[in-house]
Amino acid sequence: MMSDRVPPPPPPRIPRSRRDVPAALGLFIIVLLSLQVFLLTVAVDAFHSDDPGLAWVTAGLSVLLALGSAAFYRYLR
Amino acid sequence: MTERLPADNSLPLSEPVWRRDFPLTSSGEDEVTRREFVRFLVLASSGFAVGDVGIALWSSLRRVNTGSPRPIVALDQIPVGTAYLFDYPTGSDPAILVHLPGGELRAFSQRCTHLGCVVFYEPDRGEMECPCHEGHFDATTGAVVSGPPQRPLGRIDVEVRGGTVWALGASPEAAAT
Repeated sequence: MMSDRVPPPPPPRIPRSRRDVPAALGLFIIVLLSLQVFLLTVAVDAFHSDDPGLAWVTAGLSVLLALGSAAFYRYLR
Repeated sequence: MTERLPADNSLPLSEPVWRRDFPLTSSGEDEVTRREFVRFLVLASSGFAVGDVGIALWSSLRRVNTGSPRPIVALDQIPVGTAYLFDYPTGSDPAILVHLPGGELRAFSQRCTHLGCVVFYEPDRGEMECPCHEGHFDATTGAVVSGPPQRPLGRIDVEVRGGTVWALGASPEAAAT
């Protein structure tokens, strides 16, 4: 016997404008993460060549990039 | 989680045609917003930043073991134009002592500064050679002659005391120029 229970309504769809990832955002991600990977390799190289100054410069740039992405997240709707 | 579309394949005009052929949809595909997507970007970027700061801290706080003076080998056991392998400053640091044709003694870390393979002395060319990627270093200064290495070999100061070669201390790679 069929149940006459009504299934719950689906959750409201999120507008497409908030789901689409534009090309600019994709490029930003690729460039930013590529830079972070590059900076990590520079930091490792500085560590191996016993150059703490270069390691700190690299760390500073990396933190700046992370803060930039956090600001991007803060203002993205 | 997947769910099927209605059995009659009735699709609103806004949906693409391929949904008729593949009438499956994921209830999770609409749940990722741009903000959530960028949140992962922030997490990944922060992870890299923390890693970089950690490396910088480690680089600043570590103490490079330069070793203490100790005898290596008797001078008459190394003819001119030959090399002697030893460990310095610790037992896990391979090093090479070279008796140059001019009679001078030079000692270097045997680790290639490219990827860490051991280097060997080439008396014919007066160079240290890394067989892994054809890296060549000057046997007198340890400077890079050719190949992929970017930094000179780590240098070990040596001295002859009473017919015995002594290692006095190791210098970091960057200081060997």
